[in-house]
Amino acid sequence: MTTDATTPAPGAPGAQPLVPLHCLLRAEAGPPRLAALPTGTPVWVLTRHADVRQALAHPDLGRAPLYAPDAPPITLTPNILDDPSSILNSDGPEHQAIRRTVQRAFTPRAIERWRPWVDGVVRELVGDLVASGSPVEVVEALTKPLPVRVISRLMELEGLDTERLGRWSDHALSTTAYSAEEIGAAIREFGAFGHQLVQERRKNPGEDLVSSLVQAADQTGGMTEAQITSLTIGLVIAGHETTMTSFGNALVYLLDPDRTDRPGQAEHPDRAVAWRRIGADPAAAAAATEQLLRTVPLGDRTTAPGSLRRATADVEIGGVTIPAGAVVAADAVAANADPEVYPPGPLDLFAPLGTPSLTFGAGPHHCLGAWLARMELELGLHHLARALPDLRLATPVDRIEWRTGLVTRSPLRLEVSW
Amino acid sequence: MSDAPPLVVTVDRARCIGSGLCARTAPADLSLAPDGRATPARPTTEGSAELTEAAEMCPVEAITVRDAATGELVAPVW
Repeated sequence: MTTDATTPAPGAPGAQPLVPLHCLLRAEAGPPRLAALPTGTPVWVLTRHADVRQALAHPDLGRAPLYAPDAPPITLTPNILDDPSSILNSDGPEHQAIRRTVQRAFTPRAIERWRPWVDGVVRELVGDLVASGSPVEVVEALTKPLPVRVISRLMELEGLDTERLGRWSDHALSTTAYSAEEIGAAIREFGAFGHQLVQERRKNPGEDLVSSLVQAADQTGGMTEAQITSLTIGLVIAGHETTMTSFGNALVYLLDPDRTDRPGQAEHPDRAVAWRRIGADPAAAAAATEQLLRTVPLGDRTTAPGSLRRATADVEIGGVTIPAGAVVAADAVAANADPEVYPPGPLDLFAPLGTPSLTFGAGPHHCLGAWLARMELELGLHHLARALPDLRLATPVDRIEWRTGLVTRSPLRLEVSW
Repeated sequence: MSDAPPLVVTVDRARCIGSGLCARTAPADLSLAPDGRATPARPTTEGSAELTEAAEMCPVEAITVRDAATGELVAPVW
């Protein structure tokens, strides 16, 4: 049976309000502990900042061994994240050969060059949103189109059917929303699209990201066609999904009238003051973006308690010997709240982070799009708060409809008013 | 006597996320310390295309290469 990627209708069996992502309970940072994946496979869960960081950068903890013939089952319904030819599931020199083809386009300097253009896109979307009048559904108006416009420009996908790309992207990151057959069919269609795109850009290269990655891969050699295609559609998905999720959940946090940054004090004025400050000061928006990325998780992590790796040798982490062959989950959500690194207690949205958060991971697989995501979120929040300093949620938090059954969770619709 | 001026490599270890790209690109100049963060492999270097590439490619721009005498930034500069 298939369920749509939405919350069950109120009153439907099993329907209950989901809490916003920032209200999820998180594991307390502590020593490595043994737990189990939904498949029953034992997993060492790492929750301390130092342990997570060490594990993600450790050469003996890889992604490819998770898909080796002797690997224990790690997923109930595989999705695109389980594609062994993807950059995500390669290690060592092979992984670096893939990453090098696109890394230069994603360094902080390279991304910074896009700032004036991204700023223009944000202003245009916010301008249209304001012009359409209160109330507005902000997912359709801003959090979804922004990342799609940006990745489409970078990859020169303009004019393509964004509905179709969005549908493929949802299927590719499904956990329970779609059946294994539906996921497989969508990934095959998506792959055929990606392969055709790769062939087109190889024949008629332009200035876009796909052309440059194909050229780099063909020059260096060593990458299979499946890897090139997988990287291409991986960029499309990443551009569709995570920034939208992060933006939507950040808005729920910032506009939640019941949020309390200072327990015991009147919460509403604090919330309004913070929102206005994000709109008044771009530097405040940048600081808040880092804190939001650190504290608001991307999803419920029903499939695994963290980013998975598998040991290829005995590895000592946090005083525990993880034996060769064992599976490890690096819980960045817990590590991002490790009191050894970040001050416990009420969140100061505008405090500098000090130590980088682990939201984008660490080590060889550190998120390629980290700087682009930061920029989109920062500019999106700043311009929205600047244009609409009195913005508030028009729907109570417990009535928010969520996109569920996917790797990430974010509002399906979010009505806001001013 | 035609040697290039000596260069100094620095790594911002608070910023470094341990991607390992640099150590694999320019192993003569950068290596990964036991804590998984990059570290310069020698006090000074004459530089190389690989070192420039490593500094340019770092995902978080944690690497700088400077002229040892003048402090002038040699990489990343593009």
